[in-house]
Amino acid sequence: MEVEADEKELKAAGAEPLPDSRQGLRIHGWEIESRKRSILTSSNFLLWEEKLQTSHLPEMVFGESCLVLKHLNSGIKIHFNAFDALTGWKQEALPPVEVPAAAKWKFRSKPSQEVILDYDYTFTTPYCGSETIEIDTEERGRGEISQEACSLHWEDCEEQIDVVSLASKEPILFYDEVVLYEDELADNGVSLLTVKVRVMPSCWFLLLRFWLRVDGVLMRLRDTRMHCIFGVNANPVILRESCWREATFEALSAKGYPSDSAAYSDPSIISERLPIVMHKTQKLKVPGNL
Amino acid sequence: MSDLDRQIEQLKKCEPLKESEVKALCLKAMEILVEESNVQRVDAPVTICGDIHGQFYDMKELFKVGGDCPKTNYLFLGDFVDRGFYSVETFLLLLALKVRYPDRITLIRGNHESRQITQVYGFYDECLRKYGSVNVWRYCTDIFDYLSLSALIENKIFSVHGGLSPAISTLDQIRTIDRKQEVPHDGAMCDLLWSDPEDIVDGWGLSPRGAGFLFGGSVVTTFNHANNIDYICRAHQLVMEGYKWMFNHQIVTVWSAPNYCYRCGNVAAILELDENLNKQFRVFDAAPQESRAAPAKKPAPDYFL
Repeated sequence: MEVEADEKELKAAGAEPLPDSRQGLRIHGWEIESRKRSILTSSNFLLWEEKLQTSHLPEMVFGESCLVLKHLNSGIKIHFNAFDALTGWKQEALPPVEVPAAAKWKFRSKPSQEVILDYDYTFTTPYCGSETIEIDTEERGRGEISQEACSLHWEDCEEQIDVVSLASKEPILFYDEVVLYEDELADNGVSLLTVKVRVMPSCWFLLLRFWLRVDGVLMRLRDTRMHCIFGVNANPVILRESCWREATFEALSAKGYPSDSAAYSDPSIISERLPIVMHKTQKLKVPGNL
Repeated sequence: MSDLDRQIEQLKKCEPLKESEVKALCLKAMEILVEESNVQRVDAPVTICGDIHGQFYDMKELFKVGGDCPKTNYLFLGDFVDRGFYSVETFLLLLALKVRYPDRITLIRGNHESRQITQVYGFYDECLRKYGSVNVWRYCTDIFDYLSLSALIENKIFSVHGGLSPAISTLDQIRTIDRKQEVPHDGAMCDLLWSDPEDIVDGWGLSPRGAGFLFGGSVVTTFNHANNIDYICRAHQLVMEGYKWMFNHQIVTVWSAPNYCYRCGNVAAILELDENLNKQFRVFDAAPQESRAAPAKKPAPDYFL
């Protein structure tokens, strides 16, 4: 019964599910697909370490999981994957954050030849999605896909994502959440990168969220929201809002908020408590628009 | 059928015990555990298991693969609780088996068997939800303080949850630790439950967190030689393939929580040692979806903003 209702809703919205048990749908010239796979095997893990030139990766890398949103006519492809996100982590290379126990450890007798590792174990990333233009050249008989990554870019804009329209309870035709990577910081908190998407008859909306809690030290939330209203234009209009928040446990407790980690398990509930450190809205510029 | 046998049958169905029963069980367990050494002697044949993390239905798969206790002699390397949905039932079943068959199952302490960690990672909340009070959490965390810190199989295989400590070079040094306490934030007891082997250091390494030791191959070689052991068997770290050898077969990690956190898609393993210490890893998958009362695979749509 439920499936029939879903199909009716999809049909009424001019959408169709993807074939071959793929997760996602086609709607208004978009193909939206999520893929959820296992964490990397040990051999692929080593391969990624080599490619990223690092000796450390998050404990759980969902390397073959992704979310892809493809606009078939223009060739615009927005996608989210762990590899690009970790490339961003490697480039940003923040200094490590000490846990509370570190204060005590400074007074421990040191073993001879101690090596102090200093990579950013929180896997903080500035990643806010990947975009390319893919032109399918199949009709020319080569079956190749050419990618022109540099021809798309984001430009700051005055417009804002219309949160009011998003709050309306339009039926959700497709919803999914994909974890890209996760680390338990050796039981000192959590580092988690996920992307959620929902597709309604009038638009799609997604939230890419990097969530970090180093127990007793700090919390960091880096959200990227994207919104696209289905329209008649050849090139779709896509807005992207980035909002970074951060607070130390010390600052929170000074404001009278709880300072135990158990109170901070769900970032969506407590995000308002964290002050904003960066906010901007941008629009995707497509070469055809020039 | 004795009360204890009845309780074991009940726990095998993933039904928790009454609060008063938990209290009585913990008292009996305490009497047994207090007698155990910090380096508990274990005879072969034995089957070694790594982290379980409250994945009760997957632990039932483990017993299907490894055989029932007491027919099979088991050694569990800690981290029974947190993260999964059934920490209460998981730990109580293992504890009830320990009381019923003390010589056929050995439980040693993992870093999650701690008051502080369980308040953040699930076990505390689960006790509160299932019993409406924190009494059961108190009884269980009091028992955690009595769990042994390591095991020695036939004097040849050293087993511990995390790894080595720069403060420990001989097994006798472990034997002198006063273990009946909450896991400290530093020192030898902390290291045994928390440290990790690490490829990129040869000697000792300090984690970028500023706390937590990493140890390299030469540390393991020295320790194994000084204590006349063949290899170290530990848990503590997720391994996609269920087990992983390091440093030329001087240390092995065994991981026994398949599809960890119900989403990683990893397999799990246990290590079977026969009476001559011949090794066989048994790899197994998570329990099928229909045999468990876990949440549906598909997330419920939500109007996130």
